[in-house]
Amino acid sequence: MDYGSNDGVDGTMNRIMNGRPRQQGPEGSGADRARNRAWLRWVPAVTVPAVIAAGFLAGTIPARAGDPLPTKTPADVIALAAGHKTHTFSGTIEQSSELGLPELPATGPTAGPASADGIASAIEVLTGEHTARVFMDGKTKARIQVVDRLAERNVIRSGNEVWFYSSKDNSTAHLTLAGDASDLPLAHPGTPAAPRTPQELAERFLAAADSSTAISVGPDVQAAGRAAYNLLLEPRTNGTLVGKVAIAVDAATGMPLSVQVTARGASQPAFSAGFISLSLDQPDVALFNFVPPPGSTVEELQPGHPNRQSLSPGTPDSHATPEDLAAALEQKAGQYTTGSGWETVVAVPAEAGAASRLNALLAGNPLLAQAAVAVPGGRVLSTALFNVLLTDDGRVFAGMVPVERLQAASAAP
Amino acid sequence: MSSSLRPETLGTAGATDAAAPRGLGLSLLWSELRVLFGRRRTWALLLALAAIPVLIAVAVRLSSAVPAGRGPAFLDRISQNGLFVAFTAMLVSVPLFLPLTVGVVAGDTIAGEANLGTLRYLLVAPAGRVRLLLVKYAGALAFCLAAPLTVGLAGAAIGAALFPVGPVTLLSGDVIEPPQAALRILLIAAYLAVSLAGLSAVGLFLSTLTVVPVGAMAATVVVSVVSQVLDQLPQLEWLHPWLFSHYWLGFGDLLRQPLLWDSFTGNALLQAGYVAVFGALAYGRFVTKDILS
Repeated sequence: MDYGSNDGVDGTMNRIMNGRPRQQGPEGSGADRARNRAWLRWVPAVTVPAVIAAGFLAGTIPARAGDPLPTKTPADVIALAAGHKTHTFSGTIEQSSELGLPELPATGPTAGPASADGIASAIEVLTGEHTARVFMDGKTKARIQVVDRLAERNVIRSGNEVWFYSSKDNSTAHLTLAGDASDLPLAHPGTPAAPRTPQELAERFLAAADSSTAISVGPDVQAAGRAAYNLLLEPRTNGTLVGKVAIAVDAATGMPLSVQVTARGASQPAFSAGFISLSLDQPDVALFNFVPPPGSTVEELQPGHPNRQSLSPGTPDSHATPEDLAAALEQKAGQYTTGSGWETVVAVPAEAGAASRLNALLAGNPLLAQAAVAVPGGRVLSTALFNVLLTDDGRVFAGMVPVERLQAASAAP
Repeated sequence: MSSSLRPETLGTAGATDAAAPRGLGLSLLWSELRVLFGRRRTWALLLALAAIPVLIAVAVRLSSAVPAGRGPAFLDRISQNGLFVAFTAMLVSVPLFLPLTVGVVAGDTIAGEANLGTLRYLLVAPAGRVRLLLVKYAGALAFCLAAPLTVGLAGAAIGAALFPVGPVTLLSGDVIEPPQAALRILLIAAYLAVSLAGLSAVGLFLSTLTVVPVGAMAATVVVSVVSQVLDQLPQLEWLHPWLFSHYWLGFGDLLRQPLLWDSFTGNALLQAGYVAVFGALAYGRFVTKDILS
């Protein structure tokens, strides 16, 4: 470069600066300045993580969306939820449970529709976290995709045709519904992992809410980015494990957006399912036209297929929540229940064969066998929200109640 | 005393050849890419990556049918559709082979020049340290893109050669035609390239710390392995979303119908964070460093 001219300029400037004595002192040595500048070079390395941390913290602060919602009584909110007419939407549901059960591999070789073991799948659903994408177009077109890592389980309904598909073993099952079927047949024996839509869950809770439950409306919440009423249900009895049920009801549409079940005395929910994103636009129609992919094994299910009657007592194969399980058990085994409301205990006699199936499952799964604790009179599978007692003589008792209640029920004549 | 003046004089000097630096940056980048991809080592790395799908395809061709649900995902589909070789190979190379090759290239960026004694010559030319750092990182990124592309294209090619090619069944059970499947292979390659950007930035920073390139390479590979091990420990669940390897296997979301972009955007954000943090660290280190070799 042109060093000569640089020196010339420097020389000139030196003379100029020498003419300004005050600048000489603070000027310091060149080494000092270099050190100062070296310090400056590290500023980005410090500020970038700080900015990222600040951004993250700002993101975690719950967004207070503008105006508070108009006040509503619990009855208003229930009516809003019961009267909602949103049947066309697409969204993503996240379900997570921390019940205290050992985690089973989510994508084991038995996860396919054709080969699934009902009880094992149910326990898989009850543990860990699941994400599902839900597409609905009216009441008769629906698609649920349970998103696993590098795998997916699908339930597709279009009119009376229902398809089940599992990518794990490329297996397909098909079911033709009876003409008058109107509900969504999500309870396929092999594809139980679809977390239920918040709608379904909430409706069950609302139906069950009676004099045994204190119902109130909590502070507004945000769910899937939408302002929602927070309906709180608290059992009036101490005889249940359930402490609180919170249902977020969308203020605009009345659609239930999330359900959280908290165990008695716990601060974090033991079970929660809810939309993390929701769009009310009509999903792509092509999503509901399912054709079995080439090479896939197709199993034809009959509406009266024995597998479909999976609500028999003690085979909780496809019920996403203990409450569902309890409700279904209650429905099928009304004569076997004792207690009422939250304290209901379901008793399954030995001849139902449920106990032997549960025992076979326990024998086949060391993790579960470990979870089943021996107590006087049998073994107990204990979770945060419900308990199951397997007596030595082959009966099964289950309920959202403490173990002592189950033992008392089993001892009763 | 005179130092107060330096910026000014340099400023005028810069102003006189204002056009030069920009052209210089591009030509520097061009020469960096030429050196990188002209190297026998780079070709050896890419060839090794291309050998993965070839091995898989030949093994499947010679063996009996793979039972469904065994081995890595998609392995059982290969015999019916050759394009699945690409998906399987990309899946298999994610945990070790891709980080290994990227570690070699990223760890070599600065330390390699320092080790050869060429770094000071590069800096004597009026390139500037920041520009040199950027160019080196751009070269590493180019390799990040080339590596998964090589695996995917080699997989598709060998699959088409050894097996029938037909409509591809996605994870959702929907079927797409081969051209769309090729597009998905390119998308996955892009996903993996983004996934490796963070690791490259870590490698670049480690490379500024030492003059022994092998040390920086090994350290980069170790960092990637440690990150993946931490991602497996359920006790550290709070840490998982912050690990740069967290989304590496999330490219399965690109094989769903409709496409699920959540993991792509999450991954891109995470990698951008790593690039910013380790880029800033590399800048701090490289600009203040005494270049002795």
